[in-house]
Amino acid sequence: MAQEARLRFVVLAPWLGTLARLVLAGVFFAAGASKVTDLAGSGRAVNAYQLMPFEMAKIVGAALPFMELTLALFLLAGLATRAVAALGAALLLGYIGGIASVWARGLSIDCGCFGTGGALPAGVHPSYLGDLLRDVALLLVAVFLAWRPRTRLGLDAVLLGEPPQASRNRSKEM
Amino acid sequence: MRSRSRQKQANRFIREQLAKEQRHRRNMIISIVAVVGVVAAGLIGFTVYQAQKPPSYATPAHATADTTGIVVSAGKVPVDLYVDYLCPNCKNFEDSASSALDQLVKDGKIRLVYRPIAILDQNTNPSGYSTRAGSAAGCAADGGKFLEYTKALYAQQPAEGGAGLTDDQLVQIGAGVGLINPSFAQCVRAGRYASWMAHNTDAAAAHNVNGTPTVLVAGKQVTASPDAIKTAVTAAS
Repeated sequence: MAQEARLRFVVLAPWLGTLARLVLAGVFFAAGASKVTDLAGSGRAVNAYQLMPFEMAKIVGAALPFMELTLALFLLAGLATRAVAALGAALLLGYIGGIASVWARGLSIDCGCFGTGGALPAGVHPSYLGDLLRDVALLLVAVFLAWRPRTRLGLDAVLLGEPPQASRNRSKEM
Repeated sequence: MRSRSRQKQANRFIREQLAKEQRHRRNMIISIVAVVGVVAAGLIGFTVYQAQKPPSYATPAHATADTTGIVVSAGKVPVDLYVDYLCPNCKNFEDSASSALDQLVKDGKIRLVYRPIAILDQNTNPSGYSTRAGSAAGCAADGGKFLEYTKALYAQQPAEGGAGLTDDQLVQIGAGVGLINPSFAQCVRAGRYASWMAHNTDAAAAHNVNGTPTVLVAGKQVTASPDAIKTAVTAAS
């Protein structure tokens, strides 16, 4: 019974991985695309976290959208999935830390995750909990992908061979 | 017979090992390429940002020494207003506080400085109304009617998500407050102070002004309300 469940997981995991890739790719693409047209605004959004000097925030703000778009492309293509998923997880960890720190310090900002950003107008409440839950869920997806990077319909499969399901079955038969 | 099959098995084992090693090496190379690619994309982003920054900017008349504000009145206590012409709360603030501010100005109590910034450029379609309106306000400062023009702009503030006012409308509003010199219209249409707006916005962020309206009385941030401003001005007088 346990073995059967295990087998089912071995069959399903590569497809789950494909789904994970597409979800992460979609979110990173949306996040990157929303900011890439306003790099100065992205720098200001980072600055609003008040975690670093403005000069540094400008660099981070300009770099992030391009990094997110590149991650999205790699994830969509299924290329270097483990490395890219790990990078994505690292980014998400950074976002989670940033939002948690802003919340803890009682600042009232828009996270700037998908554009906009900056201080919120008086009377508008920040949505830190929702932002954190979303990023933690995405982090779990990224960690799963880094753990099981061999997915279906990706370039990794072309360059490195299909996911190891077939060979594992054969070794069991032997 | 037996030894041959064993030989075959050994050969296959070696082949598989070699293939595995090759896969590992390839995997390693692909991973490194991916990480380098993502980091390089970040560097490209910063380069693009640097290239987008206007190299220089023109400063309107009546600007502060640091060039990022327009001085409306002379007085003892500095009152600085960071505003975006598209920001609805800035309009609300203008509506609720302007009579109190006018009085303080009339009494010669405050040195009122407007610092127009453009943080809501992405909130119009096409983007950039905050910058165009701020630039036009710079043109109005050249014509000596900054405050009148600012009030007129807020009276006709366009909704977020729309196209914003056209350049023609910005010129017309100017004419409504007496800016009838053709140089004003030229200045508005040329977006002469768009780079100034970009500079102002950057300078405000450097001072940790991350929203509008932000009100400073004697250099300290206060709630954007007439009462808070009056109290702070009295305290600083």
